[in-house]
Amino acid sequence: MPTISIDTFFACSLMVLLVLSAMAASSLLLSPHINGVSNENISERYAEISKYLLLNIGEPQDWGQNSQTIPEIFGLAKAGSENPYELDIDKVSRLNSENLYALSYATIFSALKMPDVSFRIELKPIFEVAINLTATYPSANEITYQFEISTGKQGIPVQVELKSYVIARSYFEAKNAFVSSGDTYINVTLSNAVEGHVLLIVIARSVSNTKIVSFGTYVFAHNSGEPNPNVPFLRFSPLNYTLNASCIYPEITLLDAYALAFNYYSTLTQTANSNQSVEYGIPHFVDSGPTLMVITGLNSASFFAEWVAYPQIPLEIGADFADSNSLSNVFAYRYVVTVNSALYECRVWLGGS
Amino acid sequence: MGGRDKGQIRIVEAFLSVLIIFSAFTISANLTVTQNRTKNDNLASVGLQALIMLDSDGSLAKYIGDENWNGLRDVLNLILPTGVCFNMTVYDEQMQQINADIISNGGFGGQQIAFVEYVCASRGVTFHCYIIHLLLAVVA
Repeated sequence: MPTISIDTFFACSLMVLLVLSAMAASSLLLSPHINGVSNENISERYAEISKYLLLNIGEPQDWGQNSQTIPEIFGLAKAGSENPYELDIDKVSRLNSENLYALSYATIFSALKMPDVSFRIELKPIFEVAINLTATYPSANEITYQFEISTGKQGIPVQVELKSYVIARSYFEAKNAFVSSGDTYINVTLSNAVEGHVLLIVIARSVSNTKIVSFGTYVFAHNSGEPNPNVPFLRFSPLNYTLNASCIYPEITLLDAYALAFNYYSTLTQTANSNQSVEYGIPHFVDSGPTLMVITGLNSASFFAEWVAYPQIPLEIGADFADSNSLSNVFAYRYVVTVNSALYECRVWLGGS
Repeated sequence: MGGRDKGQIRIVEAFLSVLIIFSAFTISANLTVTQNRTKNDNLASVGLQALIMLDSDGSLAKYIGDENWNGLRDVLNLILPTGVCFNMTVYDEQMQQINADIISNGGFGGQQIAFVEYVCASRGVTFHCYIIHLLLAVVA
């Protein structure tokens, strides 16, 4: 065989070998980055959509206030607001499925006008309040209950001012506010003359910024059987500074109604009364943060005290992304938003089907 | 040109192809840089949004005006996501550092570090302008 043929054969073999190995190596090395670029484009698009949800007013602009209005274009921002990420108190409340006037996921999906995008929205206070009954001290005429109040953000203690309210049958007590470094105890003393379930409400406000507010509730029995928190007697629908309370059972008699905030509280005045529902006007407190409404009543002979927050937060609405097999490219975005002058954490999940 | 020379040229061609392949590797390295930039942009966006929310009612400038550095650190700790470290420096109009205390929640051990520059103005009778440098890192 001539030498030139051997050289050519050797060179061709070397070239084919190098090209094949280079293609394989390039493919292995570039593939994750090419996918990354693709995901990056999707992530950027979803990031803009999540901002659009929170910065857009929607159409009509006041779709939150009117219970019968279905938005043509979905957006949660407050109309006329000068600050970004300020959400409308009623638009937010209409995302809560417990509200009688809540929008369904299908309605929002249609109003979003993005058929290739599934979403989930969660709104919650920036820190949590946990209440636990730790001890009971009975005496001749009264019983003292000791509660542990913990305030924290994912386990990290948060220094707060605490204000608590105790509501029972024909009984209302507003306790003085005090500072807690994250874990404290409060005592509730009730006379034996008081009977039935008792509702303890704790409103916590961050010491470093009064716009960061959270709350917790605890129902306990006093001279009565244990309460069942999973059986509600009323369905609350706060909207446009009006609270609609619908009775779930026909034998319900409503007694007292209160509106509670950190610095202020008042009784609620009935503005309308129909067969199975009652409407109350919600006062405009100057406090930042939620107004908690409590309604007490009797179901046959048993006393109950139920509550709702306005804005109706915490809430979650949208697709369930827990089953990650059915969806690909799910992205989560976290924002701090303002609702009624208080700061909340908003998480928006977006994904394609 | 002789037959032996043709064979040698083909070997040279083979090495040229190696050169092309290395160029491909260089492109892939650039793509990696682009992706890291995107991650840092997200972190910077979180920091910027936190500052905007604090500035929306003038409380950011009030913290600085009152030299309430502990309060500023605590509120940033609350509104930034858990697992994000921050270090803030506040300057006046002449770029002189104002904060005497460190405004930070810990060491920077993360691989991703983002930088946010934000300008805010006081809302009091006397006008003050502050330049804020916020460094953010994700703790592994």
